[in-house]
Order: sequence, then C-alpha cells, then structure tokens
Amino acid sequence: MISYIFKRILYMIPTLVLTSILVFTLIELPPGDYFESYVNELQAAGETVDPKLIEYLRAEYGFDKPIWERYFQWATGMLVGDFGYSFEYELPVREVIGDRLLFTIIVTFVTVIFTWLIAFPIGIYSATHQYSWGDYGLTFLGLLGLAIPNFLLALIMMFLANEWFGTTIGGLIDPEFVGQPFSWAKFVSVLEHLWIPVIVIGTSGTAAMIRRVRANLLDELRKPYVTTARAKGMPEFRGLMKYPFRMSLNFFIADIGGILPTVISGAEIVAIVLSLETTGPILIQALQSQDMYLAGSFLMLLGFLTVIGVLISDIALAFLDPRIRLQGGVSR
Amino acid sequence: MSVSSALLEVKDLKVSFNLQKGKIEAVKGVSFSVNPGEVVAIVGESGSGKSVIAQSILRILPGNANIDGGHILFNDPATSENSIDLAGLDAKDQYLYEVRGGRISMVFQEPMTALSPLHTIGNQVEEALVLHHTKTSKEARADTEETLRLVGFPNPELGYEMYPFELSGGLRQRAVIAMALICNPAMVIADEPTTALDVTVQAQILGLMKELQKKFNTAILMITHDLGVVANMADKVVVVYHGSVMEAGDVEEIFRRPQHPYLKALMAAIPHFDMKEGERLVSLRDSDADKSTKTIHKLAAKFKADDLGDVQGPHLKVENLRKEFSTNKGSWFGSGESNTLIAVDNVSFEINKGECLGLVGESGSGKTTVSKLIMKALQTTSGSVSLNTANGMCDVLSLSGQELMAFRRKVQMIFQDPFSSLNPRMTIQNILSEPFVVHGLNHKNGCQQDILDLIKLVGLEPHVLNRYPHSFSGGQRQRIGIARALALHPELMICDEPVSALDVSVQAQILNLLNDLRKELGLTSLFISHNLAVVNYVADRIAVMCQGKLVEIASREQLFANPHHPYTKSLLSAVPYPDLDRLLDFENIKYTSSMEADDWGAAFKSSSEAGLESIKVDDGHYVLANSNCKISEIRA
Repeated sequence: MISYIFKRILYMIPTLVLTSILVFTLIELPPGDYFESYVNELQAAGETVDPKLIEYLRAEYGFDKPIWERYFQWATGMLVGDFGYSFEYELPVREVIGDRLLFTIIVTFVTVIFTWLIAFPIGIYSATHQYSWGDYGLTFLGLLGLAIPNFLLALIMMFLANEWFGTTIGGLIDPEFVGQPFSWAKFVSVLEHLWIPVIVIGTSGTAAMIRRVRANLLDELRKPYVTTARAKGMPEFRGLMKYPFRMSLNFFIADIGGILPTVISGAEIVAIVLSLETTGPILIQALQSQDMYLAGSFLMLLGFLTVIGVLISDIALAFLDPRIRLQGGVSR
Repeated sequence: MSVSSALLEVKDLKVSFNLQKGKIEAVKGVSFSVNPGEVVAIVGESGSGKSVIAQSILRILPGNANIDGGHILFNDPATSENSIDLAGLDAKDQYLYEVRGGRISMVFQEPMTALSPLHTIGNQVEEALVLHHTKTSKEARADTEETLRLVGFPNPELGYEMYPFELSGGLRQRAVIAMALICNPAMVIADEPTTALDVTVQAQILGLMKELQKKFNTAILMITHDLGVVANMADKVVVVYHGSVMEAGDVEEIFRRPQHPYLKALMAAIPHFDMKEGERLVSLRDSDADKSTKTIHKLAAKFKADDLGDVQGPHLKVENLRKEFSTNKGSWFGSGESNTLIAVDNVSFEINKGECLGLVGESGSGKTTVSKLIMKALQTTSGSVSLNTANGMCDVLSLSGQELMAFRRKVQMIFQDPFSSLNPRMTIQNILSEPFVVHGLNHKNGCQQDILDLIKLVGLEPHVLNRYPHSFSGGQRQRIGIARALALHPELMICDEPVSALDVSVQAQILNLLNDLRKELGLTSLFISHNLAVVNYVADRIAVMCQGKLVEIASREQLFANPHHPYTKSLLSAVPYPDLDRLLDFENIKYTSSMEADDWGAAFKSSSEAGLESIKVDDGHYVLANSNCKISEIRA
C-alpha cells in the first residue's frame, strides 16, 4: 500500500509539469499582453500614455525575454511559493488569492456537506421505493432545484433575506466587520450570510447527486448478494447499508476528486451576483484583463487540486474496495 | 394447525408477478412436503417457477411478486410448538428473520455474485452466525473457521481473511455452503447449487452436500434442471412445469416408472451415453421433426460446401499450437513484472473431411482459445494451422488480404450465447444478409432467395425476417445464428458450446438440427463443449483438454470405453447420469482428486529426463504422457 501511494505521488510530477506547460501556452496564446490591454484601456478613456514607460515596465517584468525563459522563471518560482505579480491589483498573486481562499473554502465545504446531507437520504429512499409517489415527488423537487437558474434564485433569496431578517445585501459578512480581526460576532455574521449561497449553489448539485445515488444503488439492489444477505436473516436496513449501499459508494468516492477544484473555481456567477468575497470572480476578471500571472496561477492551482483530488479518490478507493487494492498488483 | 411429521409442508401455493403487461401466475397451486433429513428435488426447465417456490419459502421474493394463496407450514423440530405458516406471516414478522439463515438457509447458483466482493469470506460466513446466536467475536471466529474446515477449506485461518475473488469457483461455493450450515439449520434450500461449476467440481460439491446432509441430518430442498444431479442426490422428486406439479414421488418411481408424458419426454430429450448409433434425441414440443429433416434434405444441395475433389489428407490440421497471454504490469518507471500465462500448450490434432471432432474440457482449459486461433481471431504465439484446399494444404496463419477473406468464407462459427451474439438493432433480414454484404455477394438482390432458403433450412418461417432478435426464444435465436453461419457455404463449422445456454428440451432440437445439417451439407466441424454427454451425441472423435494441453484424443467409442489419461477418467467418473444404476461414486471422487496434475501417475508427468509427448496407445488413440514411459504403464 505504501509503495502504491509513493508510486502515485511520483506519477503526479510529470502530470503537473505537462499541466504547467499547457497553462502557460494557453495564457500566452491571445495576442498582446496585459500592457497592451492597459494602454488600450487608457487610450479609450482619452488619456495619453508614455510609450517609454510601457517599454520600461515590459523590461521590468521580463516581457522582453524569450517565452521559454519566462516559463522557466514562473514555473521555478511556483516551487518556492512565488506565483508572480498581479498587474491589476499591483500585489503579489499570493496576497490577492490568499485573502479570499478561506471564504471560498468555507462556502464550498458547507455547500458540499449540505448537498450530501440532502441527496443521500433522498437517493436511498428513491432507490428503495422505486416508482413510488415519494420517489417521484422528491425527484421532482430535486429537478426543480436544478432547473431554476442560480442567479435568479440568488437574487430572490437575497431580497427575501433582507425583507424578513434584515440581512445586508451581498457579501459574506456585514460591512462593519470588513477588515476586522476574527471574533464571535464576525462568525455569527458569516453564518447569517452563508446560508444563502449554500442553498443557491447546493440546490443545483443536489438533484444530480440524488439521481446518481439512486441509479447506482438500484444497480446494486438487484445483485444476488442482496438476496444472500436477506436469506441469512439480515434486517433490511442493516443489510442495505452493509452491502448494496457500500458497493454503490464507489462512484461517490471517485467523485471526490472532482470536488476539490470546484473549491476555488465553482459558482462564479452566483459569487458575482451575491458579491461574495470568493476566488471565482477574481479568476474571471483575471482572464478578461489578461492579468497573466494571476490567471496562470489560478489555472495551475486548479490543475494541482485536480491531481491531488484524484490521488485522494484513488487511495480511498483502494482502501475501501479490496478488488482494486488486491488486483492492482498491490500486496496485502 | 394440523400436526404432521413433515418438516416443511407446502400446500396449494400460488405466486404471481405484477408486471406492466399484467399479472403473471408463476406458481399455480403447488403442494409437496419435506421430511426431516430428506433430500427433495424440484426439477423443471427455466421459467417453470421452481426458483420462485424456493424464494417463497424464505419470503425473499422480489418486490413485484405476491403470494396469492396457499400455506407453507414449517414445523421446526427444535421447538415444540405447532407448525407456523410462513406464507401467512407479515413480511416484517420477527419470526421470519429468525428462520432465514437460522432454521432454513439457502445455497445459491452463482457463487461469485452471491457473495459480496467487498467483504471477506470470514465476515460474510460469520455474519450468519452472529445474527442468530450471541457469541463473543473470538468464539464466532473459531466457529466460522471450524465450519470452513468442515466444508473443505484447506487452510481455514487464511480462508477467513480472503476475498471471494481470490478463490476458485469451487471454494467460493464451499464458502456459500459454510454460510448456509453454520447455524445448523433444519433445512437447506439449494437453488441450482452446481450449475455454474465445472463437472469435476460439481461432483465434489455434490459429494460434500451429501456427506454433510448425512452428518447433520439436515433436510435439503434442491432446485435443479439437471436430472443427473437429481438421480444422485434426491430421495423424493417433484417435477414442475409452468408453475404446476406434473409428477411427484420417490426417486425410484420417478426414474424407473415415469408416468406423466412431460416427464417421459424430458427424459427422452437428454443425451446419454448408451445411445445406439444413429439414435436420435426426441425433443419436446417439436412435432415437425420429420418435416424439418425433409426440408434440410431438399435444400441441402444448394448450401453444400464446395467440393474439394479427391484431395488427400485431413481437412484441418493443427500442429504444435501455442498461445501465451502476457499480463504486463508496466508503468512509467521501469517495466514492472510481467506474467506469462500459457493458454494453449503444444496442441496438435487433425479433423478429416466431414468429421466432427468434439473438444472437451473444463473452463479455463483453453478450448475456446484454440477455436479463436483456428479462426485467426487471435495471434498465435507459435505452431501452425492448415486447411486443405483445392491447391493442397494452405497455411492459415500466414494469410492476409484477399486470401484471408476467402478463408473466412470457408470457416464459420456458432456461438454460445444466442442472446448476445445477435445484434439487437438489426432485423433477421439484416443479420442474414450481412455475410453477403461483407463478402460483396449481394449484387442484384441475388441473395434474397438464399436468405429465404436459409431461414427454411434452420426450421423457421420466412415471415420472421422482418422481426428483431428480442422477439425470439433462445432456441430460435440459436437457429438464426446457425443460419448466419451457413450463409456463405462454409466447409468448416466451429461450434463453441452451442447448446449450453439452452434448456434441455430446446437443446435436443438444436443438437438434432446441427447433426442433420452436418450430415446433409457434408460439413467438417469442431464441436466445443464441457458436457460430455452432448459431445458423445454429436462427435465422431473426441479430444480432451486440460490446462491448455491436449491430454487424450480418441474415437468416441474408444474414449468412453477405454480412457487412459487420469484426467479423462476423472472427468468421465464425475458426470452425473440420470440413471439410478450408475450413481456417482462420491467416496472415490473425494479421495482421488485426480483433477490435479500432482496426483497423476508418474507416466503422465514430465520428468527431468523426458518431457510430455503424445503417445499412440491404439489405432487413432493418443495419450499425452512421459516420452520415456511404456505403453503398458499408460494402459495400467
């Protein structure tokens, strides 16, 4: 098992190198660079720009060097935690992202837990009571959540929250706490605001999750080992949990790998509508304004989280499923 | 409730299924009884409702099934109470949970899927014990290991920790039996317990069940379609057909004096070893048998293979065929370990023109791989395959392009599973015209008459051409598969287990059809099967394969009368005959496990001085043995 994990981590290195080359090529592909779009912006606003200053800035940030040299600088910088400089914010990338990462992780984590808490019981109920009124009713509710556009739901919820509870519009905290050190009052304020994005983002994911839990469990419920368990005298619910449910979890564990990247990139539109202090809106902004180091670092972080997520999934699968563990050439 | 001596009494049981089409009555008033310590067999074809009866007893029917009436009286000898009607209990009644696994347990057909792949054998077997008895985990583990030892696990401590996929089919089924016996139940329901197993393993498992049944005086309710198994195991027999009991009685009465026409017909439909030359199987529900023979005779001239003329030598010659599969666990870093599995090892045989060679062996013996190598569907590692043509022997393995296409027309295949071997999205018309299209022979609708003749040749009506495969029964689909194989006038027909997925009655029809076609069309054929009785019915010569090697080849009469190789002997001795005078010798099967190469005599093992060689013991009778040994040693 140890050697398996070690091998998997080794595989990550070439994957990440390839990803970084791909990301760098992608952000280099559009014609021009940040300074060009900056100059265009200023000229559009009617201001004059000193071309010498732009030339100086270009040289300063290494834009006159060949592309492979800049890639090398960027890639090696990341190894020591230097992600480059964001031109737009005029701050190191790390500082731009760092502040918002905590909020993003809180929102995503709570949303994921919310989705699971709702989707699993409903999925199990739907599978065990297939084609019943309960199955249809709950599935309908789930699909309704999927069908309502997120931004619309976000606007409605924000309005209602303000009408009924007096919650301030937008953001994750009341304005008075911005920049304040963390305190109990600030925490309560976060909770007051948090439920809106959690429900808005969560409803869309729940329906898909219910359908997947239901479909996977239905497949397993028809397997002969379920009959074996019943013939042994196993109580229904215990048998359900020990055998078919456990088997149906494989898809779910394999899914965990996909959740990690959404921690920083998920639900951008909702975040913009609700003006959440998360990373999603920054990513979009950075891509629009060709703020290349910020965008590149974001994409790289996404790639890294994907690779880590898949690693976690694979290790968890190997732990939970002896077929993967023992047939994959891993010793007991 | 009446007080009777019976352990289980089923009275007028009625079960129906609610389907979209409406209600289907699966069991229509079945009655029988099982006494303590008795083995009762319920025999029937697929769809007869026999498994539904078994599931009703434990009340583990699928959700859309209902017990509409009748009683299932269970009189537990362990309690002094009166019998309890299991059919009348509420589905959530606590007593049902006590009975399941505790007093009545079940052995299932397919040991791989009946066990959860995620839990160890020990966990699953022990669970049955812990659900019904309070034990400390140490006691439970000791009891579980003891039960595993009892059912023949060579190393119970290790077996306890193993997962089902790490065990062979036979050991898995032993684990399922251990699970059924661990609570020492009054009755075990065995639903086709040996159908998924090889014949030698089947004999071992049947012997084990018989031994344990005697030891613990457990009653067994055996559900099976195999009359051979019934003759060897049962005290009483209940024959069911379409949800009703046709005939019931002692095993002696049933086999020696069958009364009901259905039972008589069923017995006549099974191929057995005492068939006279030219004797035909009488298939059930096939009133037009004569007509079909005549149709074949009439149309035969058209589909006859091209005449080879007076060429000399065998039609197909296979020499020193070898196939290795390598599993390479390579990675980006280093090549990893590679395992080589020898699937076919130095196999040589010949098939003469118009002859049928039967290829027998257990699963994994490499018989299907041989057929694929002959078809050039797999790349051969070494050896040669040659087919006799007008221009002399032609090396099949070196063919390519146009020559390979021409070869493909000459050799056709009939597959095992009639359900997955026909494309469900093509009509029968499309399926049958495809060979013509592939080989560019469909010019000017010239093939339409051929298709009409083909469908008549296999005994179907022309109006079926517009239908899709799903609207046909298994037997009809197999006929369509045969028609497709015959479309291009092949010379050599490879039949890979063509009847093993079919019911006994349908099996007889298809075997008769294949035999007629073969004779009328002058086809040379290779017939692969695990069922010795079937091979005996169709083949002229028989080759026996074991672990990739061809261990014995002889004419049908020679092989059955005078087998030499220990593997052939054990294979022959393990077949359960539907005949009370030729019961299996369970004692011998248990003690001489000559399915393993280690137990073979020195003459049949390779030694450091000499390898294995095919040695002629009689005219046309060859046995794989040590090249230094004397013929007398082989005959011993």
